[in-house]
Amino acid sequence: MVNASVESHSSAMSPSIWLEKGFGLAFPFIVALVVAAVILLVIGENPIDIFSLMAKESFGSERRIAATLSAATPLLFTAVATAVCFRTGVFNVGVEGAFVVGGIAAAFIGFSLPAGMGFTIIPVAFAFAALVGAIWLYIPGVLLAKLQVDEVVSTLMLNFVAFGVTGYLVNGPLLSEVSGNNVTPPVHEAAELTRLMPPSTLHAGFIVGILVVIAYAVWTRRTPTGFSAAMVGYSQRFSRAVGISVPASIILVMVLSGVVAGFGGASHALGQLHRFTDGFSPGYGFTGMAVALLGRNSAIGIVLGAILFGALASAGTTIQLFSNIPLDLVNIIQGTVMIFAVVEIGRLRLLTRRAAP
Amino acid sequence: MIIEQIIAASIVMTTPILLAAMGGLVNRQAGIVNIALDAKMLTGAFVAVVVSSATGSWLVAVIAAALAGALVGLLFSLVITRANANMIVAGLGLNVFVAGFLGFILTWVYRSSGTLRLPDVQLLPHFLPESVSGIPIIGRALAELEPLTVFAWATVAVLPFLLASKKIGLWVRVTGNAPQVARSMGLPQKSIQDFSTSFAGFYSGLGGAHLALASIGLFNEGLTAGRGFIALAAFYFGRDRPVATAMVCLLFGFLEATQIRMQTAGLPPKLIGTIPYLMVLVALCIAGWRASRRKALA
Repeated sequence: MVNASVESHSSAMSPSIWLEKGFGLAFPFIVALVVAAVILLVIGENPIDIFSLMAKESFGSERRIAATLSAATPLLFTAVATAVCFRTGVFNVGVEGAFVVGGIAAAFIGFSLPAGMGFTIIPVAFAFAALVGAIWLYIPGVLLAKLQVDEVVSTLMLNFVAFGVTGYLVNGPLLSEVSGNNVTPPVHEAAELTRLMPPSTLHAGFIVGILVVIAYAVWTRRTPTGFSAAMVGYSQRFSRAVGISVPASIILVMVLSGVVAGFGGASHALGQLHRFTDGFSPGYGFTGMAVALLGRNSAIGIVLGAILFGALASAGTTIQLFSNIPLDLVNIIQGTVMIFAVVEIGRLRLLTRRAAP
Repeated sequence: MIIEQIIAASIVMTTPILLAAMGGLVNRQAGIVNIALDAKMLTGAFVAVVVSSATGSWLVAVIAAALAGALVGLLFSLVITRANANMIVAGLGLNVFVAGFLGFILTWVYRSSGTLRLPDVQLLPHFLPESVSGIPIIGRALAELEPLTVFAWATVAVLPFLLASKKIGLWVRVTGNAPQVARSMGLPQKSIQDFSTSFAGFYSGLGGAHLALASIGLFNEGLTAGRGFIALAAFYFGRDRPVATAMVCLLFGFLEATQIRMQTAGLPPKLIGTIPYLMVLVALCIAGWRASRRKALA
C-alpha cells in the first residue's frame, strides 16, 4: 500500500493519470464530507450551513487561523513520523506511544532541570524526548528487522504500555504536589515555547513542525538513505538484489519515526500544555496516520492534511458551542477518511495494474 | 472468602474478553487481523442497553447486540475484501468512526455526554439457585453465573472441534493459512473471510452486551476500555488456539479482578494493566526467535 509515494516520482505519467491522482487525494475527504452531510440531514440540519460555519470557524479570521494551525502542530510531527515508516513499507502504528513518552520526557526535563539554565532547557528537553522516542521505536524496529516480529502488533501493544507507564508516572513519581491528580508539575517559564500570536495558543512548535516536514522532504528526495528506504518499501527483493540492507533501512526509519514523534511530544508538552497530563494525546498519533495516508506520504500533502485536520478539530469545538452539533462529528469524519484513504489505494492499484501493459 | 470473591470477579471479568477473543481468533484463522474488535464491542454494549430498556428482555437485547456487532463486522469485511482496503488502517479508522458515531447519537438523541442511563434495563439473570453459594470456593462464582459466561465457555469447548473437523472450520483455516490451496480448491475465499469477520463481530457484540448488562446496566463511551485490544493480545498469545487463548483470557481477567487489591498491596494498577501487552511482546519475541533459529539450522 505504501507504493503510491514511489509511483508519484515517476515523471512518465499522462495528464489523465494526474487528474486521477488529484481526485484520488481528495476522494477520502469527499466521502467523509458526504457521510457527515447525510448525518446532518438526518438530524435536520442544513449541511451547507454547518460546513460554511465550520470553514468560517477554522479560517475566518486571524485568530481562527491561529487556532487551526495550533491544532495542526502535533499532527505535523505525528504524520511525518508515520510517513517515514509507511513509505518504507513498515506498518508502524506506534507513533502515538512514542509521542506520549516523548512528551513526558520533555516535561520531566522542563521542570526538573534548574530554572537558571534559561532557554537552553528547551534543546535539552527536545533532545531527551527524541532519545526516548527513538529508543521506544528502536525496540519494535529491531524485532522486525532481526526476528520478523510483526510490527503492527508490537507497536500497537507498545502504545498501551506507553499509556500505562506514563499514567503510572503522573500518578506516582512525577505527580505534582500542588496541582492534584494526573499531572506533572508545570515546566519552568524559560522552558515554555514562545507563543507566536497571543492570545492564541499557536506556539513555536509549529515552526519546528514545518522544519521537520522540510527535513523529511529533503530526506526523501535528496539523500541516499531516503532513497534506499523508499526502495525497500517498493520491493524488498529488489532492494536485497541491488545491495540495500533491508534490516538497516527498517531500523533507521523506526528510529527516525521515534525521533520525530518524540519532538512532537516535546513540542506539545513545552508549547501547548506546559506540563504532562494523563490523556496527553487525544489520539494525535492516529490522526497523524490519517494525515499521512491522505497526503500520500508527501511533504506538501502532509502539511495540507495536518491543516485540514487541525481545522476540523478547531472548528469542531466551536460548532458545538454555536449549534447543537456534537463534537463527535469530527471523529466520524476522521474515521471515514482513514477507512476510505486505504480503500482508495486499492482502487489506485487496480488502475495502475490496468495501465501497466 | 477473599478467594471466593476473586474467583467470582475473575470469571466475570474474563467473559467479555473471552467472547471477543473467540471471534477474533476465528477471524485471524481466516487471514484477517481484526483490530476493530473494540468498535464492535462498543456497538454491542450500546445496542444491548437500548434494546434491553426498550423491550425489557435481556435475551432480545443480547441477540440484538450480537447482530449489530455482526453487521458492523460484515461492513468492515466488505471494505477489506471487496475494496482492497488495508485491514489495519481500516480497523483503526473503524474504531475512531464508531466511537464518534455512538458519541454523536448519545449527545444528539439522548442529550447526555458520555453515559447513557435508561430506565428498566434488564440485566443478565443469575440462573442458578441462590443456595449454590454455600458451596466452598466456587460457590459465589456459581451464584453469579449468567448465560453469556456459560455460552462463552461452551464456545471454547466446541470451537476446537469446529475448526479441526467441520467443513466450515477447514474452509476458514485453509483461507487464512494456505490461500493458494483455497484458490485451487475453488473456495469462495472472500465470502469465507466475510463470514469470519461477521462471526468476530457477532462475538464481540456479545462481549459488549456482557460488559453493559452483567452488572452495571448502562452504557458509557469508555466502557470497553481497550478490551478489544486485550482480546487481540489474548489470541496472539494463545496462537489462535481456542483453549490456549481462553486460558490467557482467564489470566487477563484475573489480573483485572485483582488490580484493585494489588493497589492496596502497593503495586500500581496502571503498571499491572500493561502486563497483557508486555506478555504479547515477549510471546512475539520468543516466536520470532524460534523461527529464526529454525531457519538458521535449516
